[in-house]
Amino acid sequence: MGTTRIAIVDDHALVRDGLARLLTLEADLSVVGSCGDGAACLELVAALRPDIVLLDIALPDADGLALVARIRERSPESRVLMLSMHSEPEYAAEAAARGACGLVAKSSSPEVLVDAIRRVAAGESLPTPHGLSPREREVLALVAAGRTNDEIADLLGIQRKTVEGHCERLMQKLSLHTRTALVAYGRRIAF
Amino acid sequence: MSLRGVAAYNPSMGAIRVVLADDHVLVRSGIRALLASSGIEVVAEAGDGRSLLREVRAHAPDVALVDVSMPLLDGVEASRRIARLSPRTGVVILTMHDDPSFVARARRAGARGYVVKDSAVERLLDVVRRVAAGETCLADDGQAPDEPLTSREREVLQLVVEGKRNAEIAELLHRSIHTVRNHRARLMHKLGARTAADLVAAAERLGVAIGISGSGWE
Repeated sequence: MGTTRIAIVDDHALVRDGLARLLTLEADLSVVGSCGDGAACLELVAALRPDIVLLDIALPDADGLALVARIRERSPESRVLMLSMHSEPEYAAEAAARGACGLVAKSSSPEVLVDAIRRVAAGESLPTPHGLSPREREVLALVAAGRTNDEIADLLGIQRKTVEGHCERLMQKLSLHTRTALVAYGRRIAF
Repeated sequence: MSLRGVAAYNPSMGAIRVVLADDHVLVRSGIRALLASSGIEVVAEAGDGRSLLREVRAHAPDVALVDVSMPLLDGVEASRRIARLSPRTGVVILTMHDDPSFVARARRAGARGYVVKDSAVERLLDVVRRVAAGETCLADDGQAPDEPLTSREREVLQLVVEGKRNAEIAELLHRSIHTVRNHRARLMHKLGARTAADLVAAAERLGVAIGISGSGWE
């Protein structure tokens, strides 16, 4: 079995170098290159044709999600595995929709990352969790903006009870327990 | 016992001992690997501010390398407490952002070093070694913003914004629910906050660096 050749794209040098160090501990993985922004990433990928591109979702000069298609244009055989500070379900769903083979949260253990790399290199895609419905996103954005349930009901032209139902389902899907947490979450996602 | 044997017990002669705190396990493991290959020993790791304090108490390390955004207690508040808990420990703050007012806050909280995650490995190693040797590696030009809240109120604010209920906060802080309600009422009053959204906005303005994992975020 050959070695899986990996390129790492993350704008934080310490994170990039740390990940490279971790991955080179695995006999079947080798890190062939790394860089910190979208423009360098496209050059790197075209030059190295890595098996796996480990791509941070948030880069200074580019939206990581939008880069996926351009990476695949330059190097169709490369498979993209996204890395994210957050493991919100919508990110994973979005990454899959854009052609990435999976998303690994930076809060995961090295074992999870290594396992994900091996599976993606073997041709699998990682399963995606359920994302939020468009209506749920809408409600979440309004909650994050500080609107009350009554105001949200007015704005969307729906019953207050329906809004409460959306909020309950949102909190359940996101494993949040208080309205404050829902507000903070919504602001972090920043639709 | 020979002199050589005595010298071997002098901590200043051994490897630098570090407690490493970051709530992103992949980032933490990577930094640990980088430190280890340079002969710096990570004696314990922590994924939130409160377990960081426990590990510092248990190990009294030379250096605590502390990510600024962590669940339960952020890096700046943790620095303040480490200064009291283990005066021999030098705190080095790790952060995504290079922000002078933030450096000033870290400095006021007692941190002795500051490393942006975009730094080269050499810079991280240099700061850890110098802080372990007793130096301070922090710019002192920034102006720390006014701090309207007490240390305890900041802690409660962080926990509220992370979605903790009063009963959970009381348990974490070993205080009665009544006391937590008082803290909460006082901080809402000080911040002029009436709604959940006001509180979240105030926390952002004050630079309360909430962590996202371990609190129902993931």
